[in-house]
Amino acid sequence: MSESIAPAGPNRLTPWLASFAAFVVPFGFVLAPMALFLVYSFFSVDHGSIVFSPTLSNYIRFFTDPVFLPIFWRTCLLCFTVALLCVLFAFPVAYFLTTLRGRSRYMLLVLLLVPLLMSYVIKIYAVRSILGGNGMLNRALLATGLIDKPSMLFVFNLNAVLLTLTVLLIPFAVLPIFLSLERIPKALRHASADLGATNAQTFWRVTVPLSLPGTLSAMSFVFVLAIGDFLTPQMVGGQSGFTFGRIIYSQFGTAFNWPFGAALSVILAAVVILAIRLGGRVESSRGRIQ
Amino acid sequence: MRLADRAAPALLITLTLFVFILLYGPLMVPIVSSFFTVSHGAVDWSQPTTAAYADLTQNDSVLAALWTTLVVGAGAVVLSVALGTGLALYYASPRARGRQFLQFIIFLPFLMPPIITGLALLIFFRQVEFERSLLTIIIGHTVFVLALVYRTILTRLQSLSGSLVEASYDLGASGWQTFRLVLLPNLSSAMVGAAILAFALSFDETMITLLVTGTQSTLSVRLWAMMRLGFTPDINALVALVLLFTTVLCLVAVRFLMPASAVAGSDDD
Repeated sequence: MSESIAPAGPNRLTPWLASFAAFVVPFGFVLAPMALFLVYSFFSVDHGSIVFSPTLSNYIRFFTDPVFLPIFWRTCLLCFTVALLCVLFAFPVAYFLTTLRGRSRYMLLVLLLVPLLMSYVIKIYAVRSILGGNGMLNRALLATGLIDKPSMLFVFNLNAVLLTLTVLLIPFAVLPIFLSLERIPKALRHASADLGATNAQTFWRVTVPLSLPGTLSAMSFVFVLAIGDFLTPQMVGGQSGFTFGRIIYSQFGTAFNWPFGAALSVILAAVVILAIRLGGRVESSRGRIQ
Repeated sequence: MRLADRAAPALLITLTLFVFILLYGPLMVPIVSSFFTVSHGAVDWSQPTTAAYADLTQNDSVLAALWTTLVVGAGAVVLSVALGTGLALYYASPRARGRQFLQFIIFLPFLMPPIITGLALLIFFRQVEFERSLLTIIIGHTVFVLALVYRTILTRLQSLSGSLVEASYDLGASGWQTFRLVLLPNLSSAMVGAAILAFALSFDETMITLLVTGTQSTLSVRLWAMMRLGFTPDINALVALVLLFTTVLCLVAVRFLMPASAVAGSDDD
């Protein structure tokens, strides 16, 4: 039904022209740059200018240099932790949303959507103002007498990056979880209760397993957003908070090694694709069963 | 009822409240401090003032950045809505070739981290010797928001009944007339909603812009540069204004895109 609503062209040439017109921009401005980018990762730099002959040296450098691989793993671990924390915070919120009805549910959903469209840079700045050595968190802790001098645990290091990313990305985790919770038929929960399960049993043995696809796609979503970010580590990471994204960005700035930066980005893209596939995997296998 | 069953809702509400404090609490800090002066690194709480806002109207670099942002946003909105509508119509047409592949390419910049899209475009522009300028920012933003605009319009298009178009053809309308008189009026609210979302995304976009910009800076790039220097009243005032603007945009977009029943608050089950 939906297949036939676009106007049909009058002659035989039109479909070809339409195809050409449809493909020209996505090919020219998405596929071509991405392909070029892949090609660039096999070039090298000599005395500040790019050498256009194919080499694997960038990839070899990544895997053998003692600097890059540890930072890469550390960044992956950091982003995985962020994803886990986001899901832990987002699940109760999403679950609470499903218990609401009508207007209050809609209002709360909008309140969760608004931060998604707020300026990313501003959100980082706002969280930083809380975390800083002289920030709200430290001042509150000092005022309550819990600590007697400002804590440096969360100031310009990886912990600060972890906390900031978590706060920034929670709304992205709420939506997929909410959608998967909403899709669970009420009848299943009623059936579980009828069969004598307590609320807790129904929650752990019916609701949680059925929401797993949404939870996993939320995790992969957050992971992908976190690993590609270079602004947050730059703003709150300080000297010790070096992440993979920051290293890539520096290759195009201060380090000025575009081919190496391209190779690192190709590795980043591979990780991202893997994360997306893992996140979508459960969804598709469940779709086959039903 | 057992104790655990009664404690659970309270726990849920507490956790939800905590998350909302996490999301909105930090934003209050720059907004509130924008009305006070900062001296020696500490906020002087004694006297509220709007001086920071008045100073902003005199700040040429901020005003120039605002102008750049508006031009880029308008350009990206026009291009992405035109392209998105065309691509959605193409996808829905019965004789479309390679539509899955095409859709995959459109989604690519949205799926991949912005740093990859930005770097790919940066290398591309350099290779084809395209000077980095306002136009390169517009192209970068268009590529980035296109997926969302396309998806929004396609969703609306697929929710329309095919008999609408058939009826139009039966009544003797041409393809163009059917598009203009039947499809366009039905798609218009989705197009407006998508345009607002696209503008909001473009307004805040920083990562791709940082990479593909020449000498111009958009508001978010300007903010980024200012923020690295510290916590000052003029940044806070600008932050407050930008937040106000995006919140309003977001609420307007939601009204255009949410189903009417949700807005009215009807019970659906």
